[in-house]
Amino acid sequence: VQIGMPNHGIFHKAIVAVNGWRRAPWHSRFRPRAVLADLSRFGWRLSTPIVVEPQKVFPIPGRAQEHHVCIGEVPLIGASMRDTLEIVPVAILCVDTTGMITFINAKARLLFGYCSDELAGASANLLIPEWQAHGARAMVTQPPCSDSLLHTAIARRRDGAEFPAEVTMGPCRIDGEPAHLAVVVERSERKELKCNRQELAHLTRVSALGELAGSLAHELNQPLTAILSNSQAAQRFMEADPIDVDEVRETLEDIVADNRRAGEIIRKMRALVRKCDMEWQSVDIGGVVHDVLSLVRADAIVRGIHTTLDVAPAIPPVRGDKVQLQQVLLNLMLNALDAVQHRPADDRLVTVRASTETDGSVRLSVRDRGHGLTIEQMDKIFQPFFTSKPHGLGLGLSISRSIVSAHGGRIWAENNAEGGAAFHVSLPSVPVAGEHQKCPQP
Amino acid sequence: MPATVTGSTRVFVVDDDEGVRRALARLLRCAGHQTEVFDSARSFLAGADLSVGPACVVLDLRLPDGNGLEVQRELNMSLPIVFLTGHGDISTTVDAMKAGAADFLVKPVDDNILLEAVGRALLRATQMYESRQELAEIQLRLASLTPREREVMALVVTGRLNKQVAFDLGIAEKTIKIHRARVMEKMKARSLADLIHLSDKVSIGGFASARCSARPR
Repeated sequence: VQIGMPNHGIFHKAIVAVNGWRRAPWHSRFRPRAVLADLSRFGWRLSTPIVVEPQKVFPIPGRAQEHHVCIGEVPLIGASMRDTLEIVPVAILCVDTTGMITFINAKARLLFGYCSDELAGASANLLIPEWQAHGARAMVTQPPCSDSLLHTAIARRRDGAEFPAEVTMGPCRIDGEPAHLAVVVERSERKELKCNRQELAHLTRVSALGELAGSLAHELNQPLTAILSNSQAAQRFMEADPIDVDEVRETLEDIVADNRRAGEIIRKMRALVRKCDMEWQSVDIGGVVHDVLSLVRADAIVRGIHTTLDVAPAIPPVRGDKVQLQQVLLNLMLNALDAVQHRPADDRLVTVRASTETDGSVRLSVRDRGHGLTIEQMDKIFQPFFTSKPHGLGLGLSISRSIVSAHGGRIWAENNAEGGAAFHVSLPSVPVAGEHQKCPQP
Repeated sequence: MPATVTGSTRVFVVDDDEGVRRALARLLRCAGHQTEVFDSARSFLAGADLSVGPACVVLDLRLPDGNGLEVQRELNMSLPIVFLTGHGDISTTVDAMKAGAADFLVKPVDDNILLEAVGRALLRATQMYESRQELAEIQLRLASLTPREREVMALVVTGRLNKQVAFDLGIAEKTIKIHRARVMEKMKARSLADLIHLSDKVSIGGFASARCSARPR
């Protein structure tokens, strides 16, 4: 083992890195290239005693460093490093220049369906058949920082099942021999989480709006009714002699106000159906609450549900995508309405609360007086495709969770002491965003 | 027959939407109606004075504190209801009409349709108000009868002769004559036909049962 530092130090760093990875929001988690670069750094550290240049003994972590590793120094993999790689929750394998697997970590064995030791000395093209065509040597001689570093390949499991994977390659040295470190991410998994995420979010927004279509129509119908009656009243006023100008003026003012109101409803609907990339901006949570409530209000009335709103004054803004945050609240609201719909009239109550926490984060809570959650539900509600509704997709809460975590926040559920369930969302606010990137505790 | 009844009539407008409330009240006002607006079922049921004179209500079917059909049940036909709804599904419309709604209109509503419906409802309200007043008066007269007089009246209005009534009740015909004269006087009936007409207006269950129990056989 070529080690220049105490073992526990490296392990500590590795564990910090892995924990950081686990805690990172979804988008940075699925960046195998970054993971690889981090790991390479560890490998590089391990190799420091044999590196001649003295200024690299205590490297400054950062982009320059990563770049340096890519183009010049080839990291070495030692036994300690293997231990570290073993516990990393990303599929990693090392392939030597002859195309033999010299190391495969637990996650990779799980991904390909092999037991430990089964693959020692086996050919890498057993796992990724197309490597055979190119030859392992070609892989090694490829310029390491080119775009070909990340490529899509067909990987094969032990049972012969093939799956698309994204493979990120990086050069390293194993016991002094040049080799390749490959990070393999199953593409379907990656796709579901990243590529389709926006699509999925959009879909659930549209389906939520579909659920609300009836009440939105009602909501639009109200200003239209007022506009028609006011206009016809104005026509009648005009026929009178003398014309009551004040009355006509007031009527016209009302017509304008109702027209604006209708426009506003359409704008909110459009915003929710809009399909676009995330737009990061400073978001007023009070505004989000009011917008969503105005969309579900009519629905609540039809279902005989009373909604109360409690928005604390001077809530600091949060940084994020307004539409997505609206979507989270919309999901929580629709769930709450469903939860209380068949309850006795006194319990058909949903409370929305927005407040500032003592640590400066912003808390959104939706409380219902439904049946509450069982322990089993509590465990599963945030998982995709888990639903307790007869026609539910089971995506609302899982999407909500991914949105909230992308905002550096946290979402959780609990049962109220007085019955029913409460869903809380905690989001870091803008002024203290730097300090509160981590999830605040409830 | 006048299309609208003005004067002491009132139109209540119940809608949770302020814009709609204002617009409807304005339209009704410029057609010469006296209006009172309410923003919820509760405030309407608690705040509207229904005893003053004939009135009708333009009621939104969807209210935050209960739907219009519940209000209709609570009002128990005491005043005509013109329902207004965003989208009237068939079952709700049928329920409302079965329960005696004066009309069922869909928002947005054309002024002529609304005003005609309100006119018809007010006409009905006026008739209802008058017959209610009359009924209250007859009931007051009825309440002044003694139990025996009520028994006699119940039998007389079925067309039985004095002697048959005397036989039914097991008392002298002479006494029946006195009771009958008292009944005519207290009920302010000038003839037997008049008395029958009055008793028809207040079809009291007690009449029939008194007659049945009084019959011997």
